[in-house]
Amino acid sequence: MVAASPTLAKPADARASLPEAWRALANNYVARRIGKAVLTIWAVATMTFFLVRLMPGNPVEQFIGQLIAQYQLPYAEARDQAASLFAIDLDQPVYLQYFSFLGKLAQGDLGTSIKSQGVKVTSIIVAFLPWTLFCVGISLFISFALGIILGALMAYWRGSVLDYSLTTFGSLLHSIPNYLIAMILIIFLGVRWELLPVVKMRGSMSPGIQPGFTLVFVLDVLFHAALPIVTYVVTTVGTWMLTMKASTTATLEEDYVNFARAKGLTDRRIRTAYVGRNAILPLFTQLTLSIGFVFGGSVLIESIFVYRGIGTILVSAVSGRDYPVMQGCFLITTASVVFANLLADLLYGYVDPRVRVGQ
Amino acid sequence: MIQDNTLAVRRRQAIGLAGAVLGAAAGAVPATASAQYGMASKSFNGAWPYDLPPTGHYNSYATGNLNLGIYYDLMEMPLGMYYWAKDSWMPLMATAWETNAEKATFQVKLRQGAKWSDGIAFGSKDVVNTFMIQKLLNNVVWRYLDRIETPDDYTVNFIMSKPTTTVERYVLRMNIRPSSIYGDWANKVRDIVNAGKTADSDEWKALRKEVSEFRPKSQVVTGPFMIDQKNMTEAQLSLVKNAGSWAAKTVSFDSIILYNGETPTVTPIVLAKEVDYATHGFPPATEKAFKDLGFRVLRPPTYAGPALYFNYAKMPAIAPKAVRQAIAHAIKRDIGAAAALGESAEPPKFMAGFSDRLVDKWMTPDQIGKLNKYEYNLAGAEALMTGAGYKKGSDGVWVSPDGERMEYEVTVPAEFADNSALAQAIAEQLTAFGIKTTVRLITFTQLTPDTQQGNFQMVIQGWGSGNPHPHFAFVQDLVTWNTPSGAGPGMAYPLIQKVDALGGEVDLDAMVTASAQGLDKDAQKELIGKLALAYNELLPNIPQYERLGNNPAPEGLRVKAWPAVGDPIFDNSPYADSFVIMLMLDGTLQSV
Repeated sequence: MVAASPTLAKPADARASLPEAWRALANNYVARRIGKAVLTIWAVATMTFFLVRLMPGNPVEQFIGQLIAQYQLPYAEARDQAASLFAIDLDQPVYLQYFSFLGKLAQGDLGTSIKSQGVKVTSIIVAFLPWTLFCVGISLFISFALGIILGALMAYWRGSVLDYSLTTFGSLLHSIPNYLIAMILIIFLGVRWELLPVVKMRGSMSPGIQPGFTLVFVLDVLFHAALPIVTYVVTTVGTWMLTMKASTTATLEEDYVNFARAKGLTDRRIRTAYVGRNAILPLFTQLTLSIGFVFGGSVLIESIFVYRGIGTILVSAVSGRDYPVMQGCFLITTASVVFANLLADLLYGYVDPRVRVGQ
Repeated sequence: MIQDNTLAVRRRQAIGLAGAVLGAAAGAVPATASAQYGMASKSFNGAWPYDLPPTGHYNSYATGNLNLGIYYDLMEMPLGMYYWAKDSWMPLMATAWETNAEKATFQVKLRQGAKWSDGIAFGSKDVVNTFMIQKLLNNVVWRYLDRIETPDDYTVNFIMSKPTTTVERYVLRMNIRPSSIYGDWANKVRDIVNAGKTADSDEWKALRKEVSEFRPKSQVVTGPFMIDQKNMTEAQLSLVKNAGSWAAKTVSFDSIILYNGETPTVTPIVLAKEVDYATHGFPPATEKAFKDLGFRVLRPPTYAGPALYFNYAKMPAIAPKAVRQAIAHAIKRDIGAAAALGESAEPPKFMAGFSDRLVDKWMTPDQIGKLNKYEYNLAGAEALMTGAGYKKGSDGVWVSPDGERMEYEVTVPAEFADNSALAQAIAEQLTAFGIKTTVRLITFTQLTPDTQQGNFQMVIQGWGSGNPHPHFAFVQDLVTWNTPSGAGPGMAYPLIQKVDALGGEVDLDAMVTASAQGLDKDAQKELIGKLALAYNELLPNIPQYERLGNNPAPEGLRVKAWPAVGDPIFDNSPYADSFVIMLMLDGTLQSV
């Protein structure tokens, strides 16, 4: 009998452990979800890459159109100018462009802008994304907080004048497009009635203000973000209100709430520990997804208020067919929504012990 | 029911706090540059779309740069600007020029004593370096130039390989860049040119890419204004006075504030009386609001507009010129113009293929007298159709002698409200006449590729050109959207045609090319006149209106007054040689 050589045993063990490792990984919920998230992002990035190139026109043609529209240049002159200014090869086969894009993406390089050659897409996004996160993030926080408070009140006082008026108000706000609210604010409050200095409030900060952690800068930023924030809040609070109302109403009718009352627990304790915490659960997933969408900003709101955000960049990139910038913006939004969704899945078990996912 | 009034109190406190913060913020924020400059200095407020850094930058050779449209001429000044009505030039960085036909040379004398904002003297090296980099970028002027010589610091000789009068405009309207920033790049261009490299070579393309990616840290200008880099936001930027500029003293304003944005975002600012001039295409309803506020609305001509194009490959019935002439008589162009842009759409009277405003400068009275104005005349239109052998079917639709029923689509971009309104007006009138027409809406980005590839039956495309030489208008009318010189089959209109007014068959392509060649303007005028007569007779496409600007220009806010209506300066194209810039530079436009 020959004893198994330790050196020979090792490769067999290693080989045998590989499939086990894969199985263990495959059976791990977290690993599966992460893998799925990465695949989803890859799929969306691929679709985006090809879809944007299916759009009619290309960067050169868009530029020609701009020159003709803005400067009334003859087409031939505009074409000559555009062709010389764009030192890019649009004739490279799409699949080669795709592989080049993937290769760079794997290294964290989102490419360079076509419209502003040599400028990294990452630097453009880094310059604009924080403003979107600030504005939309604050808006989401305010809208959510306000929404759940008002929704809970509507449920507690259901059937009252407050309930009816807030329900109507919430439904109305939910159905009005946010860009319409934005235009109404500007035209009526700003121009017609001159209640707001809308010209001053355009943009994300005033000329001459130095960025920094100073009171002047912070107040200035808040001043400029006020209208976009109000618009976001006004157009999204209705959704949270109505959802929270429905959820709270359903929770109030649960047996354990009646039991808690029967036990003699205080209203405050019932509202927070029993009703509030359970009523808010359905909104948790929606909230995490909304956090994901914060990264995408709002194209229309940022354009109307000329607010420095990712939406503004996206509008400019789409109209100029700046493919790398478009891809970068869509990738950021996709990744944030996918990971927010993943986070929601993973955290839900902690928030609601009844829904704990095993290995 | 659970009630807790503390919540209501806390809510009131929160709202009060928010209001206090907003109020504090509004009070703490410095006045905008408008008010700032208004108190301390005199500002002119305009509007122009731009991109903030890092997308926007100061390399005026590359796309995405902060050249700010018409306001660019106040920074990196050109050699001159043109008075369209007077057919003369305003000397800027050049003070004199002349063409030497014998030597095929266009000589320019430069302004002496002018300095760049970095203190370096302006001179011929800046001019030649500018043109060298334009050579790298295949600028159209180099089709006509052989080389450039600089006998001294203030003289530049442009030696033409193909002498043409158009070189004058190409040269004089060139914005001159500083050698302190671009001189090294110009030297690199010289090196590869001297090495015999051409635009197809790898070295040429590599250098072009490098130039496109070059990002100067700041501006150096000769003009009276430069961008205030520190005070730029996505909402507005300021142009501050370059006190050392030779032009600074005559300009009444100390600063120019430009609001960022396209028409929808700029409109509220104009309505808030914060803009002194804007070139954006405001719809008629907005224009009415401007007038209600007491604004003047300036209507400079753009020398171009929309026309009805036909696809001769897909509409054989349109081939006889009599049919197109009938169509011209059957469309009341006033209706389409009014529907499109109201007072800012002027139906052409002469149908010469270029702007009516240039007709008497380029055609003889005799030639003008021969032009058919194609006035609305349904009976005349019907007579032309029946004379060509066309008959109306039982449904009232015309049928060609070959049996082609005249039922077509007119393609138009949906996003352009003026063009789509025009297309609708044309469709209704043609249908009433007996050519059943429906409107086909496409997205605007599809218009160019569809027109180039001939994917249309009828289409609304541009006629004319924002260039004082009608050659460019005929290029647009006959060549751009046509084969073989266009980017695709386009309207497929044969350019060898029999023209009764010219006594036989003519080659329109050759005539168009020749109309800009040579230094004999009289010879060019003769060709332009013939082209106009040919166009008028053949009507390969039918101009509908010439677009005028509808630029709000309030008086008494920051601008004392604009010149009176009818002033020849308002004949200037608002983009090609902006009257605003010229009025600022010559001191006519004064601040309040």
